[in-house]
Amino acid sequence: MTSLYQGLINIIERKITPLAGAVGQQRHVVAIRDGFVSALPFMIIGSFMLVFIFPPFAADSQWGFARGWLDFSLRYRDQLMLPYYLSMGVMTFFISVGIGASLGRHYKLDPVMTGLLAFMGFLLVAAPYQDGKIATDYFSGQGIFTAILTAIYTSEIYALLKRKNITIRLPKEVSTGVARSFEILIPVIVIVATLHPLNLLVASWSGMIIPQAIMHLLQPLVSASDSLPAVLLSVLICQILWFAGIHGALIVTGIMNPFWLTNLAANQAALEAGQALPHTYLMGFWDFYLLIGGVGSTLPLAFLLLRSRAAHLRTIGKMGIVPSFFNINEPILFGMPIIMNPLFFLPFILVPMINAVFAWTATKLGWVAQVVSMAPWTTPAPIGASWAANWAFSPVIMCLFCMALSALIYLPFVKAWERSLLQQEAEASQSAAASGAGLQTP
Amino acid sequence: MYKIMLCCSAGMSTSMLVKKMQDEVANRGLEAEIAAFSATEFDERFACYDVVLLGPQVKYMQESLAAKTVSEGIPVATINMMDYGTMRGDKVLDYALQLIEQKGVA
Repeated sequence: MTSLYQGLINIIERKITPLAGAVGQQRHVVAIRDGFVSALPFMIIGSFMLVFIFPPFAADSQWGFARGWLDFSLRYRDQLMLPYYLSMGVMTFFISVGIGASLGRHYKLDPVMTGLLAFMGFLLVAAPYQDGKIATDYFSGQGIFTAILTAIYTSEIYALLKRKNITIRLPKEVSTGVARSFEILIPVIVIVATLHPLNLLVASWSGMIIPQAIMHLLQPLVSASDSLPAVLLSVLICQILWFAGIHGALIVTGIMNPFWLTNLAANQAALEAGQALPHTYLMGFWDFYLLIGGVGSTLPLAFLLLRSRAAHLRTIGKMGIVPSFFNINEPILFGMPIIMNPLFFLPFILVPMINAVFAWTATKLGWVAQVVSMAPWTTPAPIGASWAANWAFSPVIMCLFCMALSALIYLPFVKAWERSLLQQEAEASQSAAASGAGLQTP
Repeated sequence: MYKIMLCCSAGMSTSMLVKKMQDEVANRGLEAEIAAFSATEFDERFACYDVVLLGPQVKYMQESLAAKTVSEGIPVATINMMDYGTMRGDKVLDYALQLIEQKGVA
């Protein structure tokens, strides 16, 4: 067992750590993550509007408060929908500007200009214009992958032209602000001259515009992203990386976000149309069933530690409990420690995977409401789970069940760790007493 | 006046440590500016500080981040796992001051 464990640690250190470093810091992966982070506040508020439009009551409820709300939301549906349409409905705008700006910073270009350039590149291929109207079909979830690709393409072109010094030079007397806006002229021309013909070409060749073609190509991958194997694989990678002390969630969510958002938009569209929600594995599922109190679902662990007989564990528990409510658990991970501690390898990897199987099955059976909204990852897990499912109550129960299960699995391992710590503490105090006695004798 | 920058993925857990370090600074009667940022803000921020300490969970970024600060001569180091977990403001402050002093010598 020990040699097996050592072998595993060796593989992680020699192979996986450098790979994770390379993937996690690859400029496009970083830019995609940044793009989503900058779009997030808009999308959280926008999808919060869904609660006003679809309050958590049965449609035929006769209870006065619920009836009043339902009637209000029906009468003012269009007005209430506006903030939702102009955030979730056009999420690709925020994402493309965010990704462009991040790459702009990376290449030391003007981030605002790079973001706007990315936005224009996206519109060129994703906004067919006819009879004075722009078609908006691909501004939401269906356009995410296109927004990523066009943002990367436009930023790379801008960076390339800048590097090759292909730019319009104005006399020195012209102020830098004006000069900067002229600097972008050639990149704009190049992007229009390449993306627009490409779009026409793809359309005439396949009968689909670019975002449509991209979704067509990616469809198998998008479908596969919402499956139990995808859940288990993503959480396994995250746990193994974190066990090795690498912020695995940063890498996994960076890759999963485009899929989660595409599927979230599909769930919201289904809710709006009054249909069954098609998708299960979304960020709300990840944040509030698999990372309860942070990676490894360690919130129940914080409670266990508070009552530990070992002083060290009690200290960690006291320090870790408050941040744990907000899903920040570095004190527990590094303090116990769990990271690189062979004793905790199994429960740390298994707890979120077992939770995943239960939460997935219960959701598929229709016992637990599906995710349809976005909640900040720092929301306490049971509340966040409810928030993400439009304030349904079943996710709270699911979340509490996952917590109880986690506590049960962690408990024997914590006890074993406590025993070895108590032994150390006893030895330390014995030797301290011995040396203290030694000093006193003349 | 010492200027110390902490950095992790979102700047969340490091900001808890910042609080502890500031308490320690006050205890010792020193003057120091300590702040936590997310890794994405690194490029814009590091130049204003004497030293950058990373949370152990982003140790994998150390090499590439250190490459960016090399011309300014700002050391980038990773905080000891145990000190981070137990939020030992005193030890991390000692570490930061030690790195700043070494820089002064070199």
